[in-house]
Amino acid sequence: MRIEQQPAYVLHARPYRETSLLLECLSRDHGRLGVVARGVRRARARTSRAQLEPFRPLLLDLLLKGELATLAAAEDAGLPARLHGDAGLAGLYLNELVVRFTSRQDPHPALFDAYARTLARLAADEAPGWPLRRFERDLLEAVGYGLQLDAEAGSGLPLAADGWYVYQVEHGPVRCPPGRAHALRGADLLAFAQDRRPAPEADLALRAMMREAIRHHLGGEPRTWQMLAAMARR
Amino acid sequence: MSASSPLLNELIEALRCLPGVGGKSAQRMAFHLLERDRQRGLRLARALEQAMQRIGNCTRCRNFSEEPVCALCASASRDRHVLCVVESPTDLAAIEQATGYRGQYFVLLGRLSPLDGMGPQELGLDLLAQRLGEGEIEEMIIATNPTVEGEATAHYLAQLARAGGIRPTRLAHGVPLGGELEYVDRGTLAHAFGSRQALD
Ligand SMILES: [Zn+2]
Repeated sequence: MRIEQQPAYVLHARPYRETSLLLECLSRDHGRLGVVARGVRRARARTSRAQLEPFRPLLLDLLLKGELATLAAAEDAGLPARLHGDAGLAGLYLNELVVRFTSRQDPHPALFDAYARTLARLAADEAPGWPLRRFERDLLEAVGYGLQLDAEAGSGLPLAADGWYVYQVEHGPVRCPPGRAHALRGADLLAFAQDRRPAPEADLALRAMMREAIRHHLGGEPRTWQMLAAMARR
Repeated sequence: MSASSPLLNELIEALRCLPGVGGKSAQRMAFHLLERDRQRGLRLARALEQAMQRIGNCTRCRNFSEEPVCALCASASRDRHVLCVVESPTDLAAIEQATGYRGQYFVLLGRLSPLDGMGPQELGLDLLAQRLGEGEIEEMIIATNPTVEGEATAHYLAQLARAGGIRPTRLAHGVPLGGELEYVDRGTLAHAFGSRQALD
């Protein structure tokens, strides 16, 4: 199947055969794709390796045959997102999440949009925490593990804005006494559900909630967490 | 390419592990050595065997070495106050050949890449932190590649250096010498533009 002018980002590249790269790409209409870029590791390749770096909006022409696609052409679809410092590590985290949570050729247009939005936020020098929470939420939603953020687990009753809740993965928010570890206010969960920024005091609990969900559905921890933790310790 | 001898087959198959060597070249190499150059073929075999068995990694810089501490680390004529961090032994060799650098090195043998399972531990950053802690190093030249993963690694290394009170510096990257702006990759040009320098 020929795919033309497909919006996509490269998530990861590894050397393949003598002069080629095997790319993992996130495409808008075909989900994650394994793409062989022939000959790009030669000195005078038509498509440069720099162009196939992550975080660059691309338009790809591809020939999809079985498990892998072959790259016919790649052109820039806009300016590369320039992620500095912590934002660069955050970008690698996005890529790890997408690769580990999606299967090849499983379309997730909403995920593509969320990914592009998140890169823009990270490039705009926003502190990475909030953009990452929004992306984690949207990613889980896109791949079918969406969190129930606006109604109590079990009863389905609407959350009380001033109530306290702990989030149980695969169930939802459960009422708890105030001050429990990782407890969140109803108002903060509702804000998160509506994509409004929760109170800053909720940052750590929010992160813990998303991490618990990711750990549960992934059956392990993303490698990037260890990198971030090692950095935080220094 | 069915050779009449199993040993010849084995040799051809073995030569194919070299970069850029496919079946045809492997066959040509094997025939060449057997027909015209057995002496040097034997020398190659000995050198290969010795190198494969005896070359390990330097315990200070992680570069290839058959001694626990490599010649470069042991040399008294290298500046002990500057440390240059590179991704690979190839990068180290390139810097040695192209520049007059007289300091020391640390070889990561990779770069931070969560999807390849390369984290701080795999890059020997504990060993690096230990070297920084010895107190001699004043400047850390971060010479990882200007790729997304190389930049993330550089950021991580810079934090490590600052935490140890060491000044991190980064190789400049931008428009190649003798290049023309028109033909420079967009990302490279954007980077060069962003990190422009005052003329004085
Ligand atoms: Zn050494």
